[in-house]
This record gives sequence, C-alpha cells and structure tokens, in this order.
Amino acid sequence: MTEVLMPNTLAEALSMISKDGHDVLILGSGSDVIPRIREREIVPKKVLDLSGLGSELNYIRIEGNVIRMGALVTVRQIIDNELFKGRLEAFLQAGRMFGGPQIRNMATVGGNLGAASSSEDLIPIFIALDAKVKMASIDGDRLVPVSKLVVAKRQIDRRPNEIIREIYFEMPDDSSWTAFFKAGRRNSLIIDLINMAMYLKLNIDGTKIEDIRIALNRVRGKTPERAYKTEEYLRGKRIENETIARAQEVLDSEVQLSSDFRASAEYRKSLDKVILARLINNCRDRIVEGRRTGN
Amino acid sequence: MKDILLEFKVNGQPKKVYVDPNDRLLDVLRDYLDIKSPKEGCGTGDCGLCTVTLDGKPVLSCLTFAFQARGKEVTTVEGLGNGKELSPMQQALRDAGAAQCGFCTPAMEIMVTDLLKRVDNPTDSQIKEQISGTLCRCTGYYPIVEAVKKIKEEER
Repeated sequence: MTEVLMPNTLAEALSMISKDGHDVLILGSGSDVIPRIREREIVPKKVLDLSGLGSELNYIRIEGNVIRMGALVTVRQIIDNELFKGRLEAFLQAGRMFGGPQIRNMATVGGNLGAASSSEDLIPIFIALDAKVKMASIDGDRLVPVSKLVVAKRQIDRRPNEIIREIYFEMPDDSSWTAFFKAGRRNSLIIDLINMAMYLKLNIDGTKIEDIRIALNRVRGKTPERAYKTEEYLRGKRIENETIARAQEVLDSEVQLSSDFRASAEYRKSLDKVILARLINNCRDRIVEGRRTGN
Repeated sequence: MKDILLEFKVNGQPKKVYVDPNDRLLDVLRDYLDIKSPKEGCGTGDCGLCTVTLDGKPVLSCLTFAFQARGKEVTTVEGLGNGKELSPMQQALRDAGAAQCGFCTPAMEIMVTDLLKRVDNPTDSQIKEQISGTLCRCTGYYPIVEAVKKIKEEER
C-alpha cells in the first residue's frame, strides 16, 4: 500500500472514505490483515487506520438492558469486563481460546466482524444473541442484523463509505444463558474446525425450552448461520435425552458441510452433534444453578 | 517511500523516525532504532517472539504497522531493567535455567512482567495461560513456570 489515512475523529474518517472508499482497507488492530497484506493475498491501495479513534469507538456500556460495544473494543476488554461474567459466558468461553494472550490484547470486535473469516469466533455468539451492527457513514447510521452481515467468506454487507461503529444486543434475562464451544486440532492458535454458539431461555418453571438460537460457523456454506430447523424442533420441548437425540438428527440433516484438508464432513458433523448436546446441558445447568443461588 | 513521520516513545525516550507505510513496528524497532530484543520468529503471529508492550499491553510487533504506534509508548526488554544488573525477575529466570538459547527470553520477560503487574500470586495455570502465546523450543516451559513462582516467593 502507498497511502495511510490517519483520522483523529470518526467524522474525519467518514469524510475520508465518502468518495472513493472502495480503494480503502479499514484497519482495526491489523492482527488479521497484516499477514495477508504481506502475503499479497490482499493488495490495498490505501489503508485507513482507526487507532486514533479510541476515545470514540472503544466503549462497553449497558443502557437499560441493551449492551453496546464500540468497534475498537478488544477481546481482552470483553474477558475482563464484569458484564460478561454471568449469562454472557459464551464470550468468556470464546475469549479464553481466542488466539494467544497478545492477540487478545489486539483483536477488536469490529475487526472480527469485518474480517468475517470462518474462524472469527465472536460472530456466532453475536448471531446467537441476535445482535445488530451499526454502520456509520456521512449519510448517517445504518443497522445490519449480524445474522445478515456475512454474505460470503470474508465478505460483509458494508458499503465502501461505511465504518463499523458499534454492535449491540439485549442482555439475556435471568431465565437465559449463552454458551460457546469450538473444536480444533488443539487448544490455542488454531483455525476452528467447527464452532457453535447458543442462546437458551427456559420457561417460567424451568422445565421447557422457551426460546433457543443456535449459530454455527458453518451450516450450508462457509459463512456463519443459524440452525433454524434445529431451533424450531427444540422450541417448547423438555430437555430430555430423547429430545436431544432427535435434535442431533435434525441438526445432522440441516447441516451441509464439505470435507477439506482440515477435517472430513463426517467428522465435523459428529462434532456438531456432540457440541449441541453439551451446550444445551451447559445452558440449562447454569440457569437452574443461577435460580437456586439467586444470581 | 519513507514518508510517514512516526513520533512515539520507546522505553521512555521520545523518538522521531520516518517510516514506510508497510513497515511494521518490529522493523522500526530492530532496523531503525537498533533495538534487537524483539525477534521475528514467524512473522505471522504464531510464535510470539516479537512481543513488546504498546501503551502497557503486550502485543505482537510483527502484526502491528509502525504508524499504529504514533503517539504511543512502546516498551521492550531493554526498558525493563536498569541496564546494568538483572532484575529479580530476570535473575529468577536465569537461576531456573529458564533461558537456554535465549531467543524467546525477551518475549517471555515481557509476558511475565505483564502478569506480575496484574496478578499478585499467579497460579500455575495463570502462568501457563500467560505464556501460551510465546513459543519456547528449549525449556519445555517448566523452568519458566517454576521461575515465575520463585519471583513471587522472593518478594514476599
């Protein structure tokens, strides 16, 4: 690249890309794009560096029951934040296995959403939480449901004059929990074979699944999606071994995966089924435990 | 084309250097400022040997463009001690045989310093977690973990 744009405010950044934004790569921490630039996998003409925008785009706050995160929040800030220590456990489960400690200090929420590779662990969690992404441009903000954000591998619904500004979602209530699991060939510094995030809400007396959202990094292709059929089957059901076994079958038929050099489709599917059962039980146990201890 | 003026602090000293847009922080430290402790093991963010702190947080200098450090403060191992004697942390690593070939030692020292700054008496698993992104091919990590535990004991 030959030119670097270094704005000090979001307004300045947006005006810099208002005309010929298609030439410009937006840089969060760089932990994902720098090796790709050096390998010439991407050859950006210009880079717009967000490091000067920390005071505007780095915040985690709760307004009513809505949690808002600026695009420059790092994985490490999420792990350290008290808001994520309970029902949002999915973020901790993903964060603990996200890169190594140095990468967690660097990688940003906006970068995770923008990079949209199949290993971006945060995206399935945001999908399970039904989060919305706020895109900023000089024309104002535009909302994109995170479930519609990734349109193809490494391609998101972002216009050339837009910058990811914020992501927000509702804090799960005290009948709900979230969980995440990823499987790879080892525990750290890996590209996921599969990952799955779940939001589960029990009914008032805690016997049935009132609502559930299941997001996987791969369902029908190489983009993160929800397993709608599996969700539909599970809604309103009691959590029993038989139900879970049937849900695993539904998931097995819903997921269409291909084999690659990392793993066969069969192996990925069998992982999916095991993880589905594990996450359902994990969420249920934590909700029940929370009710008993009053958390 | 070195046309970006980078002003930042390295180990407490203000620096001004002209950098190329493609220069990484690692290149500027090693090649322009002659600070050789950060190493390029892999250049892709896997080995952790280029670790420095940026505004107090350990990051990988091979995955950071030089211009991203503008206005910030970088610390390398050269900035940790007084330049003459080993610090208690460095002495403990040395006594435990935690530095063998030495290639990962600067990055390990940055990570250990960061941990001890945040956690008073780190457990084995906290220590292992903290150094999990920094590869060492000599020690098998065990002496490093033992050394970190000793540092805390000595301080008590």
